[in-house]
Amino acid sequence: MNDVVSDPSIAALSGQAAEPAVVLRNVAMDYGGAVLALADIDLALAEGEFLSIVGPSGCGKSTLLKLISGLAQPAAGQVIVRGRPVQGTPAGIGFMFQRDALLPWATVRENIAVGLDCAGLPAGAEREQRIDELLAFTGLSQFGDAYPRTLSGGMRQRVALGRILAYAPDIYLMDEPFGALDAQTKLLMGQELLSIWGRFRKGIIFVTHDIEEAVSLSDRVVVMTGRPGRIKAEYRIDLPRPRDSRGVRKLPAFHQYVDSIWGDIMSESVRN
Amino acid sequence: MSQSTLLAPGGRPLPQAAGEPPLKRARPPASDPARQTIIISRIAFAVLTVALWEVAARWLVDPFWIGQPSKIAERLWKLIVSNDLLWHAVPTVLHAAAGLLLSLLVGIPVGLLFASSKFVERVLEPFFLGLYSIPRIALAPLFILWFGIGPMSKVVMAFSLVVFVVIMNTYEGMRGVDRELIDMMKAMRASRAYILRKVMLPSIVPWLFASVRVGVGLALIGSVVGELLGSNRGLGWYVEHAAGRIDVIGVFTGLVILMVVGILLNELVKTAETRLMRNRR
Repeated sequence: MNDVVSDPSIAALSGQAAEPAVVLRNVAMDYGGAVLALADIDLALAEGEFLSIVGPSGCGKSTLLKLISGLAQPAAGQVIVRGRPVQGTPAGIGFMFQRDALLPWATVRENIAVGLDCAGLPAGAEREQRIDELLAFTGLSQFGDAYPRTLSGGMRQRVALGRILAYAPDIYLMDEPFGALDAQTKLLMGQELLSIWGRFRKGIIFVTHDIEEAVSLSDRVVVMTGRPGRIKAEYRIDLPRPRDSRGVRKLPAFHQYVDSIWGDIMSESVRN
Repeated sequence: MSQSTLLAPGGRPLPQAAGEPPLKRARPPASDPARQTIIISRIAFAVLTVALWEVAARWLVDPFWIGQPSKIAERLWKLIVSNDLLWHAVPTVLHAAAGLLLSLLVGIPVGLLFASSKFVERVLEPFFLGLYSIPRIALAPLFILWFGIGPMSKVVMAFSLVVFVVIMNTYEGMRGVDRELIDMMKAMRASRAYILRKVMLPSIVPWLFASVRVGVGLALIGSVVGELLGSNRGLGWYVEHAAGRIDVIGVFTGLVILMVVGILLNELVKTAETRLMRNRR
């Protein structure tokens, strides 16, 4: 809880030396029947890495996140978070949902406070100060006492982001967090996420169906096949950091990545 | 580094995104013309109904059978002046309210238990439905036998009618809780008690209001039925007493008072609900 802010350079160094943050070994998943949701998943997330998963809808991308967070159990294989097999919910996991999952009966402040409660920060002056910081940080200072229904989709996702930051996790699992937003807001939120990540350098697994979004944000993009979800391809994205999620889209290399991934996914949909 | 230093040295807050104005609060203005029209129409409807009744009683049907509004009004006035109205209405309303409160105190935990344990639910379901299908009104003599003709038998009567509604509504409400909110909490390793307090209980509030709305009427029935059978006071007693003396106007007066009390209590619940639910989406 004390390493809310890590020096990026130190995080990067320790990331190389230490074991991966998340390891999935030969994982399979079904929905209690003959239908396999996931099969033969081998995947690792390095500490501080920004990893995106793209694939056709229904390929089990979201299920993968649920397995890592312990919200679901694999039918076969091992899920290991920070060296420990997942049993129950591991500590230090921040899960962000496509729908913002805000408490509709709570104000923005109270919603952000949920993250602090779960992190075990007791009520007091420090807590109020921290909420103020998070409100300022997410650009919501004037909306602390507003209720979610009065906010736009983008602002609601900022609140959700504020809540996750309040929890101060070591690993972020993001399930199409900007999927329901309009194009401009999505771009802005992506940029903000990059700047946050650049500062904290925590590992992120980012599930999306937007290939350009995945390439513009990530260190690595994993492409999955249709049901049952398997890993079809993996791309290391060698684009310069720190990135500007809009500027990076003008680079020729960016379009090469996007084209290859498109090719992978198209061949998938033809196969089905 | 302490919790309170989220921002790295030199870190600047994220800018307020442009083109994202907060949505305006959608709240109807205080002087809603539609609302006024409705209130006026309601009064017109009530006046018309009473007028037709009065006409019928004067020229068409013997008021011995159907009562007569002007005579009921006269009786009502007498009851108000002699303070008998309060004398009878207060215990009826208090017993109903106590029964309703007791139903909530018992019904919510039982509903939560049913919803949280599939096992308990499946074992107890037939017994629950069995109890539910007993006509509780028929139990009134038994309650009087057990609890005497004092307040307790009325409270228990009201309770026996309302508690099932609360249990079933709590149960239904729990089944409708947004799974994603629970997953969100679980992913942050929130305790069961915390999830109950922050997600479950707030989610079932609309269902509890629904129970209370239905429950107000049922509790009044319970309270009155208890009084019909054994008491020396209360609106139920007043109606029974009047009927015993073939005082039809007295019976109708008692019923009118009960109706008005029911309407007032319902309006009270509605007002509380609108206030509490204002911020929901």
